[in-house]
This record gives sequence, C-alpha cells and structure tokens, in this order.
Amino acid sequence: MKIINDYKILGIIVFISFSCKLYKKDFDNPVDYEANSDLGINAPALVFYPKTQTININESFIFESVIVFHKDSIQAFSGAHLRVYFPNQLIKFDTIVPGLFITDTSQSNPLFTYTFDGESMIDIYTYFLSESKYFIEGTGHIADIIFTAVEGGVDSLYYDLDYCEFITVYDTEIPILGKRGAEVKID
Amino acid sequence: MHNSMSFILFISFLYSMNQEPTYLVLNHFDQEIPEVEKSLIESFNNSKFEFNESIKNIFHNLDNYDNPASSHMDIIKELGTEHKVNFILLNKIEHNEDRFILDGLLFNTRSGGLIHRRKIDLKQYLDGQINELVMWVGNTLGIQQKDWQENRESILFSDPEEIEYDKTPMGAAIRSLIVPGWGQAYSNKKISSKVWFGVEASLSLAFILSYLNYDTSVTNFLKNSNLYNATDDEKLVSKYRSDAERDWINHIIYSKLAIALASATGTGWVSNSIHAWVFGPRPYTNIYQEWGSSPKLEEG
Repeated sequence: MKIINDYKILGIIVFISFSCKLYKKDFDNPVDYEANSDLGINAPALVFYPKTQTININESFIFESVIVFHKDSIQAFSGAHLRVYFPNQLIKFDTIVPGLFITDTSQSNPLFTYTFDGESMIDIYTYFLSESKYFIEGTGHIADIIFTAVEGGVDSLYYDLDYCEFITVYDTEIPILGKRGAEVKID
Repeated sequence: MHNSMSFILFISFLYSMNQEPTYLVLNHFDQEIPEVEKSLIESFNNSKFEFNESIKNIFHNLDNYDNPASSHMDIIKELGTEHKVNFILLNKIEHNEDRFILDGLLFNTRSGGLIHRRKIDLKQYLDGQINELVMWVGNTLGIQQKDWQENRESILFSDPEEIEYDKTPMGAAIRSLIVPGWGQAYSNKKISSKVWFGVEASLSLAFILSYLNYDTSVTNFLKNSNLYNATDDEKLVSKYRSDAERDWINHIIYSKLAIALASATGTGWVSNSIHAWVFGPRPYTNIYQEWGSSPKLEEG
C-alpha cells in the first residue's frame, strides 16, 4: 500500500511538472522593430522576410525585401536603392516584383526597376515621381525577390549597406542603421 | 416493578461452632431470580439458611439519606439482636434493559453502621445475577472460587488484541486517500469530514481552474506566436506580439498558481489521510477497567 501511495504522489508531481511546462518567449520576426532591437539591429533597418526558408531543389521561393522603421517614426522617403547579394551556387535569380507597400497596395505606380549583374548581385531602384504621391512612410515590404533552388546546401542573402540608400523628397539621405540577412536551406 | 424481598438467615455452623461472626443475608430483587436460594446453599454448603419474607422495604432509598452509613442504626441493631448475628448483608438487584445493578451492603449489628458496600453495573450474562451475588457474598465471607471468576469473564474477550474490528484506522486512512473526508465520515466524525471535504474540494477546484487558465494561456500564446511569425504586416506583428506577451505572462502566473494549489491540495490530501488514521475508529481500551475481574468494593 505504501508503494502504491508513493507512486501516486510521484505521479502527481510528475504530472504537474510536465503539464505546467513553461514556454520560452521567442519573438523574432524580422518585421518587428522590437525583435530587431533585441538583436542589436536598430531602425530603420533593411531585412528579409521570412528570416529563413527551407525548400527543395527546383522549387521557386520568394524573399521579401522589407524596410523596418520604428513604430512611432514619421520619417517619409521618396526613393530607395537596395543592393542584395545572394548565394548563386545554391539559388538562381528569377525576377523581382514591386512590394505591396511601395505600390500602396497597387494604389500608386512608382518608378521601379532593378539590375542583375548575372552572378550574385541585385540592385533595386524605386522612386516616387508622381505629383500626387511622392513619398511614403512606415514599415513595409519594398520588393519580392523570386529565386529558384538549384543546389542543396545552406547559405544566406544579405544587403550591402554601403550601396543601400533611402532619400527624402528633398533628396536628403535617410541613414539606414541596421540590416538583417536571411537564411536559405535547400534539401 | 416486581419487587420480591426474601430474608435469608444464614448462620454458619462452622463459624458459630468456632465462635466466628454470624451473618443475616437479605436479598431485595426487582425481578424473581429462580433458584437463587438453592445456589446460595450449594455455594456455601457448610452454611445454614433460614427464609423469612415478613419484613419488607426496611432499607428503601438508602442513597437519599445524608449519612447512609448510619441511617438505619436502630433497625440493624434490633435485627442483630433478634436473629443473634454479628453482621447483616443486604443485596439489591435492579434490572435495566440488558443490564443489572447489584448494590451490596454489609452492616455491623453491634454499631448498626454500614461498614462495606459494593455497587456494580453489569451487562447480563448467563446466570449473571446469581453468579455476582455469590461472588459478593463470598467476598464478604472471604471465599472466592475460580469458576465464579471464569463465569463472569466468559462475557469478556480473553485477548482484546485478537478482536477483529469492522472499522480500523487504516480503513479510514485509505478511504480518505480515495476521497477526502470519507475516512472521517467512516469514523462518524461528521463535522471534520465536511471540513476536510470542503477544503480539499475548494483547493482542487481552484487548482483545476488555474490549470485550465494556464492551458488556455498556453494555447493562445502558441497561436499568437505562430500568427506573429506568419505575418509581415507591421500592425499585425505588433498586435500578435502584444497578445502573445500577455498570454505568456498569464501562462507563467497560472502555472505558478496551479503548482502552488496542486501542492496545497496534495499536502492537504495526505494530511487528511493521516488525520483519518490518527483519529480513526479504535476500541475503548478501558474495557477491562469497566468490567474488571477484580471485585470493586465501595465502603459505606
């Protein structure tokens, strides 16, 4: 009887211990300026969303290029130049389409173009030239970069902040304080 | 109440021939006890008995007197002179359901005072009244036989340790371990049973509610965390993060609360079982003291 009681008490303790598991608070969305700040990446920052992707060979996938401002920021920009490097031994560049943020959910038509050096570098340019819409403010995704997986492995995409630039309507530069790359795993 | 009074003149020839004290024995019974006179004669076969039923109620309500020992001095002296005896033995037997009370008194006819008294309250057993009467008379005469004692002890358990009881402390403890308060109810302790059940039920309910809140918080936390990771919308990211943080704090609070309440419930549960065992049903240990084999004499 004593053994049964001991096991019963032990069972209750184990049940409570395991049933009341405490979860770790892990907020790490690249679009979240607080999560970036916790990692030492200050806003405004250039990031990719999602931060990591796992795909199979020959599959297409999209990385969103996103500018993240502080929640209370009212800084507006009228043009941007982004330089992105990608691992061309693993993935093949396909195309780029303007993001919903930069087109204001297809409400505006900014100048949007890109160049690809044929290897691993992409330059994206976008400017508001309209008289009715000549700036935008806040966090949002600027472009969808579409790739195709060609080889298995793990590598990352990243921005080259030396060549990235955001300007106001008065052609003054908005300093980019942080950047965050993205990881791609190809099975 | 049938009241029979018989007067027995008992003069021990053995004593009288040796100039030993002589006794007059008077029996007052509320019910007829068959063969009591024959039993006395057989038990003390060296003695002579004479019966006289002409005198009644001479010692009625003795306890009502301020000084029972000296309340009937004159009549005792008169009886002693009349019957030429040194002592008078008065035996009263009254029945009450399955019990009877034997009140025995020994008077000295020279002083008229009460010098010895024995009052016992016993459960009836086979020929119990006769056996107790014989033991009392024998006690006054200094005669005790082993079979009289054995006859009395036949109604008692020879070894109380071997008695198997329907209710045991362990039975109470096990019941309380299954359902708090059951062991106390089993021991006929209704109030403590209700208190234990109420306390444990309250703690258990509080624990269950805390655990359900913890579970809800965890579910919401995981859901909002997934939604947070799955969106690139700045406003939704902020909203889901805020919700997830609130759920995370709640799941910590309810987890601690649930563990504390579970500990309190468990501790209370075990304590309740121990309490049921400690205060569980046990036999009265004064069973021999109540009906002891040693004659208890009260002096008047």
